[in-house]
Amino acid sequence: MAVSALNATHEAVDARYNDVDPVYAQTRDIRLTGFVLALGADCVLFSSFIFAYLYLRTSAPAWPPFVDGHQLPRLDTSFAALNSIVLFGSGVTMHYALENWKHLKKAAFNGWLIATIVLGALFLLGQAHEYLSAAMTWQGSSFGASFFTLTGMHGFHVFIGVIYLITLFIQANRGVYTGSKYFGLTAGTLYWHFVDVIWVFLFFLFYLW
Amino acid sequence: MSTKPQMIEPKGMGPGFWPVMIGLTILNVAIAAVILYTPLDWILPEEWNPVADRAADIDMLFKFMGVFGSAIMVYVAGFVLYAAVAFRRRAGEPSDSVGVQLHDAPKLEFWWTVIPTALLIVLVVLTVQVWHRIQFGTVAPALTTEVVAHQFNFEIRYPDWQGSVFSPPGEMHLPVGKPVRILVTSADVIHQFWVPEFRLKAAAVPGLVQNLNLTPIRTGTFDIACSEYCGVNHSKMQGKVVVESPEAFERWLAGERAHATTAASVSLGGGDAAAGKTLFAQKCAVCHAVAPFEQKIVGPGLLHLTDDPKHPKLVDGKPPTAANIAEILQNGYTGDIGAMPNRQANGLSDKDIANLVAYLASLK
Amino acid sequence: MHAATTVHADHVHDHIHPAPEGFIRKYVFSTDHKVIAFQYFFVGLFFLFISGSFALLIRLQLFDPAGKFLSFDTYDSMFTMHGTVGVWLVVIPLVTGALGNFIMPLQIGARDVAFPWLNMLSFWLFPVAGLILFSSFFFMTPHAGWTEYPPISLSYGVGTALWCAAIICIGISSTLTGLNFTMTVVKLRAPGMTWTRMPLFTWATFATALVNMIATVALSAALLALFLAVVFNVPFFDPARGGAPVLYQHMFWFYSHPAVYIFILPAFGVISEVLPTFTRRPIFGYKVIAFSSLAIAILGFAVWAHHMFPSGISPWLQLPFMIITYAIGVPTGLKVFSWLATLWGGRIRFTTSMLYALGFLIAFTFGGITGIFLAAVPADLHEHGSYFVVGHFHYVVAGGAVLGFLAAVTYWFPKATGRMLNERLGKLGFWLFMIGLTGTFLPMHWLGLEGMPRRYASYTYFAATHPDAVFWNRVETFSAFFMAASIALLTINVVWSLWRGRVAGRNPWGARTLEWTIDSPPPYYNFKKIPIVFGRPYDYTEPLPYQNLDHDVDPYPAPTAASFPLPAPAGAG
Repeated sequence: MAVSALNATHEAVDARYNDVDPVYAQTRDIRLTGFVLALGADCVLFSSFIFAYLYLRTSAPAWPPFVDGHQLPRLDTSFAALNSIVLFGSGVTMHYALENWKHLKKAAFNGWLIATIVLGALFLLGQAHEYLSAAMTWQGSSFGASFFTLTGMHGFHVFIGVIYLITLFIQANRGVYTGSKYFGLTAGTLYWHFVDVIWVFLFFLFYLW
Repeated sequence: MSTKPQMIEPKGMGPGFWPVMIGLTILNVAIAAVILYTPLDWILPEEWNPVADRAADIDMLFKFMGVFGSAIMVYVAGFVLYAAVAFRRRAGEPSDSVGVQLHDAPKLEFWWTVIPTALLIVLVVLTVQVWHRIQFGTVAPALTTEVVAHQFNFEIRYPDWQGSVFSPPGEMHLPVGKPVRILVTSADVIHQFWVPEFRLKAAAVPGLVQNLNLTPIRTGTFDIACSEYCGVNHSKMQGKVVVESPEAFERWLAGERAHATTAASVSLGGGDAAAGKTLFAQKCAVCHAVAPFEQKIVGPGLLHLTDDPKHPKLVDGKPPTAANIAEILQNGYTGDIGAMPNRQANGLSDKDIANLVAYLASLK
Repeated sequence: MHAATTVHADHVHDHIHPAPEGFIRKYVFSTDHKVIAFQYFFVGLFFLFISGSFALLIRLQLFDPAGKFLSFDTYDSMFTMHGTVGVWLVVIPLVTGALGNFIMPLQIGARDVAFPWLNMLSFWLFPVAGLILFSSFFFMTPHAGWTEYPPISLSYGVGTALWCAAIICIGISSTLTGLNFTMTVVKLRAPGMTWTRMPLFTWATFATALVNMIATVALSAALLALFLAVVFNVPFFDPARGGAPVLYQHMFWFYSHPAVYIFILPAFGVISEVLPTFTRRPIFGYKVIAFSSLAIAILGFAVWAHHMFPSGISPWLQLPFMIITYAIGVPTGLKVFSWLATLWGGRIRFTTSMLYALGFLIAFTFGGITGIFLAAVPADLHEHGSYFVVGHFHYVVAGGAVLGFLAAVTYWFPKATGRMLNERLGKLGFWLFMIGLTGTFLPMHWLGLEGMPRRYASYTYFAATHPDAVFWNRVETFSAFFMAASIALLTINVVWSLWRGRVAGRNPWGARTLEWTIDSPPPYYNFKKIPIVFGRPYDYTEPLPYQNLDHDVDPYPAPTAASFPLPAPAGAG
């Protein structure tokens, strides 16, 4: 479903180009496919660590495991759920940012993009709070090892994403993109949604399961 | 030249094709006969006169694979050499002469897919049968022995109702004709316990125990070699397996038991629980968690070792007094899931034992 | 059979960029795939000398079972670095970065790869990775083999950490190359070049690129986990804190098995080009060879635990991995049979390249068969960790990937440089290599079955009970120098021919793929006009299936005087 939606958007955009700039259309096609493949490679990175977590969790005699004679507590789902809403909300705002750009509504675009950046930063602050209040340590157990490594990698991706979005904001307002040529914004949106999708899996694996 | 080049096609299958193929087939039959009917001790140790039941089984598989593999090799190499001679461009041919413009041959391709696949399936079935026999076809063992690998020796011991007997490091004795179960683990890094003549190998991994089964069927002395890189003296980590008559084995075992360390005579006053805690993390946590009894890693959890109403005695059936705990630390212990090293293997001094006892007693 | 199809020629790359100016833009920071290929070639050759020298040191150590030549500690570094450099700084860069980069875009009629700047970045990560790895000689080298299993690798913390950093770096390079090549083959083929009209080396590069793109990231994950364990004491692999040493093995081998298909698939592609050219016959079974590459690439992801059979994995896990490993033998065997059938009815010209291809057919098949021996769990429980394994993988790497690479170098050198290599030196090099290969790696099989473990700095105990062990180890040591001599000769040949080789012309071999229709060496833009393709390249009695070529080429390309002396015309003498 996601793929056909992507294709439909892609074709609609292409249709706009073929009269205007067929060379750009083909270049954009190559860059977009390449970008999607790169995100696929990133998925392999997360999948490998998720495999590690699944392996350690299913081979542990108890979960959460015992450290120093005490069983570690489960993670606090309610705070993380709130933080997840913040992150998914930023995905919604990013979607509207891109839509508004396509319809050349610059002011609305700026508003939605800034909202996305703020929500992304808020998510990172929430994660920082989560880390500081966690009962387990990175070194103490396989629980801490998997949790901090996986959510840390994710958080790093969010951090890079926030930098990326700030850059896009600056570039958009400097006139780098036009109404029909805005590949950077498309890529940024895709990246941001990718970060959201990864979080869905991590939230399930660490908080719900 | 811009004219179509001259195509030179072979007559029939090519010059001398059938004599060569027949010759290669005869060679294959000869090789198969050598593999199946002559002693292969020059390549597989003790093949002609197997030392263990599993060795005979595995060697049968080797021989079958040898016949299959050498047949493919003879045909492939033979055909390459044949083609290099038969289908070389001859002097006098035009410089642009081309060969037969054949793209495929569906019937031939069908048979060369089906026949090797069928042979491969036969090999797979045979392999699965041997695999199943060596992994699951076990009879109740008459004897259990444990191997705890260390850097750089194999600690071997024999648990029974009288307590564990510790062999000199690296020396395993086995009675011929009796099925034996060998438990393998490691106290530090990954090693690998390999007895080539038995065709027996298992990685010694810290935190897990592997279960091997075999019946030695011939007497003799055989090497144990570590075959997983484990540090600078990896190449010096070997041992010996001595397979002897049951009577000789019992005499040897009785002799070793007489050497075993007796019950604890260690002074337990002044043990430092904090030092014991550090030592525990270094030496014991590999196999024991500070958690309830049921939370086994390899050995049981040691939380409430001295005051657990569900487990009021130590694993050897004695009350959990400091002296009895110290005795287990002195001599090690063997349960049905693993083997706990004794004080020499763990490198524990008298003071260490006292500290550990103090720490363990504090886990209430 | 072929009809010129009406294809629109308004290809995206119809415009030609201006030529790069200045030494730096032309030869140092170049985005031209051909220049990048040369860079990979020379840096890869440099690391080949280093890895090979370490191998010679290993062999000198094993000349004497007491192993007094090097300290045990140094020996451990040597086999670790030999393997690490050989896998990641020699074979993979040479077959993907050098061969793939140079040949594939030319074969598909493209002006460059899809992402030329990324290609340049991929290259420069290569010497950086080498620098990181070799900096370890100043601190502590890695010691635990090219596989670096924990817990032992944790004892050599600094060395292991540097190893992780270096290999992650080259891993990123490799992943980017995989992505680049995948996109190039999918999107930049010349008009009319459908998938089933692609040359087989391009098919091979495509399958390799898919594996590279997906598997290498898993390696980075495994090494990142190891790095965190070493540097930050994160307990992924420590059983005392809930970790598992075997977890590393799963993560590592999930990449490292597909990695061996990265080594060999391009070599398969080379053989599929060299055999038709020098038999002047179509490749037999084009579709089987093309699609079996994909089958091998995909199946290759499902067999990793065959490296872990004795490690304590459940027997029920051993079973499927064993069966799928056996199954990979089928597409591989089909390729070998198709190549043999390509020889049949040909008119073979014995150039150096063809000799390497023939040597490959024999050596690689042998390596593949010993792979079957390793696939069977009961047999593997005897062979694992012994010299049998070392013999097997060197046969498929040195006798497979390296022979394929040498066939490629001797085949495409005239195209890349405009010069012919010296055939006499080339043939001598070939025979030295084959003798060296056989003498060094064949005895390893029986030494291993007899019980000689690998990664042993000294084997006195084994020599005590196996009187032939010392003899065969010495044969191996002696033979290794034959391979060294062969590589030395190749290097001399390359360097000398660059300056003084005979001028090659556009198509000395009379080959039919697109790269042979342009000048040697190709101009920076490759094709002034993008060619149109309307057939497969392997039919020697058909005219070339291309339109819109830059030059007026012979529709029936024939070997020229540059490639070897023309025979007397038919009918005379």
